[in-house]
Amino acid sequence: MKNQYHTVGKSVRRKGALDKVKGAPVFCADLELDDPLCLKAVRSRYPHALLKHIDVSKALNIKGVVAVFTAADIPGKNLMGIINKDQPLLAADKVRSLADPVALVAAETDEAAALGAAAVIVTYEELPVMFDPQEALAPGAPKIHKKGNLLIKRKIQKGDVDKAFDNAHVIIEKTYQTSAIEHTFLEPDAGVGYVDDDGTLVIHASTQNPHYDHKEVVTFLGVADETVRIIQAATGGAFGSKLDLNVQGFIGLALYHLKRPVRYVFTREESFLATSKRHPFVIHMKSGADIHGRVVVLKMRAVCNTGAYGSYGIAVASRAAVHGTGPYEIDNVDMACSAVYTNTPFCGAMRGFGAPQMALAHESQMDLLATALDMDPLTIRRVNGLKKGSITGTGQTITDSVGFNACLDGVSPYYKEAMDTWVAGSPSPFIKRGVGLGGMWYGIGNTGVQNPSTAKIEMDRKGRVTLFTGCADIGQGSTTVLAQIAGETLGLSADAIEMVVGDTRYTTNAGATSASRQTYISGNAVKDATDKLVNVLLTEAVNRLRVQKSYLKLSGGWVFDDRNPDKKVDFAWLAQRVLDRGGVLSWQGFFDPDTVPLDPETGEGAPYATYAFACQMACVEVDTLTGEVAVKKVVAAHDVGKAIHPENVIGQICGGVAMGVGFALMEEFVPGKTESMKDYHIPTMKDMPEIIPLIVEDAEPSGPFGAKGVGEPALIPTAPAIVNAIAHALGERIYHLPASLERVLEASIKAGHFNKL
Amino acid sequence: MADMKYVRAETLEEAVAFLSTHGLQTIILAGGTDVMVDVRSGELNKKILLDVSRLAALKKIEITDEGLCIGSGVTLTEINTSPLIKKHAPALQRCSCTFASRQIRNIATVGGNVAHASPCGDTIPPLVIHEAQAVVANQDGQREISMDAIASGAYHSCLAPGDLIVKFILKPRKVGFADFQKIGRRKALAVSRMSMAVMADKDETGNLSFIRFSLGACTPTPHRMDAVESFLMGQKPTHERLLQAGEILAEKMVEITGRRASIIYKEPAVQGLFMRILYPMVEWCAQ
Amino acid sequence: MEKEKIHIQFTLNGRDVSLDIPVKMTALQVIRDGVGLKGTKEGCGIGECGACTIEVNGKAINACLMFGVQLDGCDVITVEGLEKEGTLHPIQEKFLDHHGVQCGFCTPGVLMSTHALFKENPAPDDEDISNAVAGNLCRCTGYQQIFSSIKAAIPVNAVDDDSDMASRHDDKAMCQDSATERDTSMALNGTKKDKTEEAQHHG
Repeated sequence: MKNQYHTVGKSVRRKGALDKVKGAPVFCADLELDDPLCLKAVRSRYPHALLKHIDVSKALNIKGVVAVFTAADIPGKNLMGIINKDQPLLAADKVRSLADPVALVAAETDEAAALGAAAVIVTYEELPVMFDPQEALAPGAPKIHKKGNLLIKRKIQKGDVDKAFDNAHVIIEKTYQTSAIEHTFLEPDAGVGYVDDDGTLVIHASTQNPHYDHKEVVTFLGVADETVRIIQAATGGAFGSKLDLNVQGFIGLALYHLKRPVRYVFTREESFLATSKRHPFVIHMKSGADIHGRVVVLKMRAVCNTGAYGSYGIAVASRAAVHGTGPYEIDNVDMACSAVYTNTPFCGAMRGFGAPQMALAHESQMDLLATALDMDPLTIRRVNGLKKGSITGTGQTITDSVGFNACLDGVSPYYKEAMDTWVAGSPSPFIKRGVGLGGMWYGIGNTGVQNPSTAKIEMDRKGRVTLFTGCADIGQGSTTVLAQIAGETLGLSADAIEMVVGDTRYTTNAGATSASRQTYISGNAVKDATDKLVNVLLTEAVNRLRVQKSYLKLSGGWVFDDRNPDKKVDFAWLAQRVLDRGGVLSWQGFFDPDTVPLDPETGEGAPYATYAFACQMACVEVDTLTGEVAVKKVVAAHDVGKAIHPENVIGQICGGVAMGVGFALMEEFVPGKTESMKDYHIPTMKDMPEIIPLIVEDAEPSGPFGAKGVGEPALIPTAPAIVNAIAHALGERIYHLPASLERVLEASIKAGHFNKL
Repeated sequence: MADMKYVRAETLEEAVAFLSTHGLQTIILAGGTDVMVDVRSGELNKKILLDVSRLAALKKIEITDEGLCIGSGVTLTEINTSPLIKKHAPALQRCSCTFASRQIRNIATVGGNVAHASPCGDTIPPLVIHEAQAVVANQDGQREISMDAIASGAYHSCLAPGDLIVKFILKPRKVGFADFQKIGRRKALAVSRMSMAVMADKDETGNLSFIRFSLGACTPTPHRMDAVESFLMGQKPTHERLLQAGEILAEKMVEITGRRASIIYKEPAVQGLFMRILYPMVEWCAQ
Repeated sequence: MEKEKIHIQFTLNGRDVSLDIPVKMTALQVIRDGVGLKGTKEGCGIGECGACTIEVNGKAINACLMFGVQLDGCDVITVEGLEKEGTLHPIQEKFLDHHGVQCGFCTPGVLMSTHALFKENPAPDDEDISNAVAGNLCRCTGYQQIFSSIKAAIPVNAVDDDSDMASRHDDKAMCQDSATERDTSMALNGTKKDKTEEAQHHG
């Protein structure tokens, strides 16, 4: 299909990339301040304890230490949380994990701050510790939070599950497990702050949601909105971790009391200790299928460890429950996902919010069902795949943009070739080749809750356009895409759109950069604002050109008569006229997806307005002698609705596949043991398969130019495909991620391959 | 935080003399890749940094009557690109291909890798199979320490504060078969979970006439596995014989380490990697 | 406590630099704080990520693993030294053209590893490239577009690449949502795979 747009669908040069290749000082740690104080948090010595007393006197006597703050120094409310507010900025009466900050030292140098932190004397009364969710759920278990240790149990019920199991032709029941994962963005959390000439507390943050940060900081400080200004600095990756506050609250507190510039740059070790992790899951799944391979019933019980604080736990449990069916139409479901508090450092948002963990389960189940029914793994997915008109587990009928089958089509020839030819061509008698599939669906936006975005577009007297958006670009390229959307609407190139991004003085809330929502939701808000501006320009142009609006087109800064392009007027002329007459060239846009909240008992509802779909195929080589796995090739077909910037989409797909390879094979965060990047392995270039990205465009009518999203979908099918491929290679399945050297070798031995020719 | 003093030695004699009086307080800086990590963490906390990274005397690679001499200050990149090492100590050249990362190889030295005495040091198995002697200088002169004596325990070298490794003397050998392989959790920038170095020669009938084998990252200190070597010597390697040799290797390893938690993986894996690295010999000897 | 300062002199991006620094200062700190060039990043501090890669005497080094005193007398290049008088280095241009940048934090390190690679080897093959960059971790890109950027920047390729670029933007083929159009549409990849080879394998 030929691209009918002039910038949408084109891989234009990324905005902001020039700074990055030049090494411009745009990240928080790069920003130079006038003699800044250095901050350092004192963190809990025990995973669970009452906080009895904090003695800061010794610390204050250390040369260079300027102040030591505790909870008592927080002027406003000492409570934060991105969904439920259960997390103090500084511990007040108890500590719930080793990451909990207990005091904050401000000093002239990093060394003095470290010495100061070491000199703070804290008295604790230890409480019983629980690291395992089952322990925390046991009757009589000590309460980590007053409300108890169950954060949420999300339930979804439809149909008659018992009857359906009775009638099922084949039943597969298994338990799956995943580990905590560290986001390992390359830029350790950092922030700087200073007090502006007019008294504003200005904080530059490495963040995914500057407006949320702003709200929390003004609440901690008990000050008016205008007193605090959050500016999102260039953010070196985040993947969900920088949704929670990292240093913004600390900087705000220090600025409030000391009125001097401050700086807090985490070491990698502190980032590992103190920031959120991906929830580890234990998933019991019982699937029943009929004789044709149609999955007719699904029972799922999942428990995820949300650690000491809620963070995004409610969203993770909800999304996991909804996505537990996989991209398949299943008539009878009984799903429950519990998020449980424990004394491990808190878990939160991490690319996929529970969907990657669920996908391990539902995609393994599909393959197991296929084997039991002697069906081809591709065929069983076709038989069950959601289509237009399908009804989901929450009772939502999806009517448009359901590209799952098209993704299967995309992968199909590669799958055939791999199965017919590639699999048999192992390079060594000790290497077994396997091919696996992974399917996924992913609801765009927050689960069944409002999560609107706003945007503002302005044209000046000279016809120059500025787009204001609170949408944080964390490397995924939203700034460019939003400029393209505005540009397309105005007939301008993305270059011609001046962007003001993530500055709470000038931008309005676009919601968090999470849930793969920005292209769809902020994109629509931007389109909304731009449409309004265009309407004003066209109205003025009608006056000037005396042509009906429907014949007018915009291009290159001109409005012209489509039938007679020489009849035209430029933006500057129009802008001047509008402004001189007292008209408005500054327009707000708004968009909130069309959703219906989930019923708390049955889970019935329409949690998302649109879903992304994908299928990936992984080709692996398993070394039956050592347990090493090499992923040779991944074919990744993704229905994104419309690729506004195709290379950006490919970039997300490749990045997601890399993260999936890590999730599948080598990443495992063990609190207390995993301390630095020496202990935690993300894939290097040498670990990467050849990736063949296939972009499927099943347009979403409610999306900007048909677009949905891809950020998280990119990662979700990869680990399941790899696990299925390993099972195919060995004839023995792994149910616990990562499929580490140890687990794979064990499977090789169990399957009888080890050391056999 | 107490800061350090910096001394740059201009000659080997200067370095040795300095260490004789200040050795207890001194960190020797050759490449610095291990030193920096330990200084940053506070694990290494001494007053003086003695920089020997520019001593030409420590940078030579040459064949003399003594053998293949590799200066302690030779970097992993220099090992990687040295035609002499590729010819006379191919397993050592091989280990430099997968050592850490390019950035680290460019400054990390073989002397540093040995002195750090990490059980996972990748240069060590190849040095062991070449029966390398570390030439160590101190104020009393020079002495030679063999590779299995140089580490007294994991991360503990037997070197005294006044000692400085000058060079390694390897028994050079052009062989028909040589390899170094490792198992890591990923394909680059990975600490070896297990490593092996081997070299072998065959006679006209295809029987092994020479074999040296060393296991790395599995024992606290380096070991040449004579039991495995003598089992395979003088015979044609077959899949069956390699299986048996692998079992011997696993037994030897467990004898040394005891049954720790990692044994569940390492006991089979050591046999697996052994088979993988040596299996090509089967075809090579059958020719 | 009095810190002993050591005097070092080195060439940085073609300029002479003179500093008095404490011994414990890393080369990374010298560059970022001593000289004030912020392009070189700290990602981990222990040589496990490559974000701090600089070029010292023509070799790619992790600046976090070097003591500043080791820079004395050396010829050092950082990312700021790639562009000359406002003109980007071809490597930088190719990274922009081929979308090798996402969050940008790993980018300076990757550029320097690439620069050092080309210095040693102006015609690297695929394996040479991955060996050179294996020590540069990236969490955003999955390395594919980094790889194609580097390939495009190979000195002999960089000359011919401009003619490629125009066609890449126009004939991006995509999978549509109906099986019939698949035969003519093809994968969007643009890196290593030969498209005709792929087409032959379709069932």
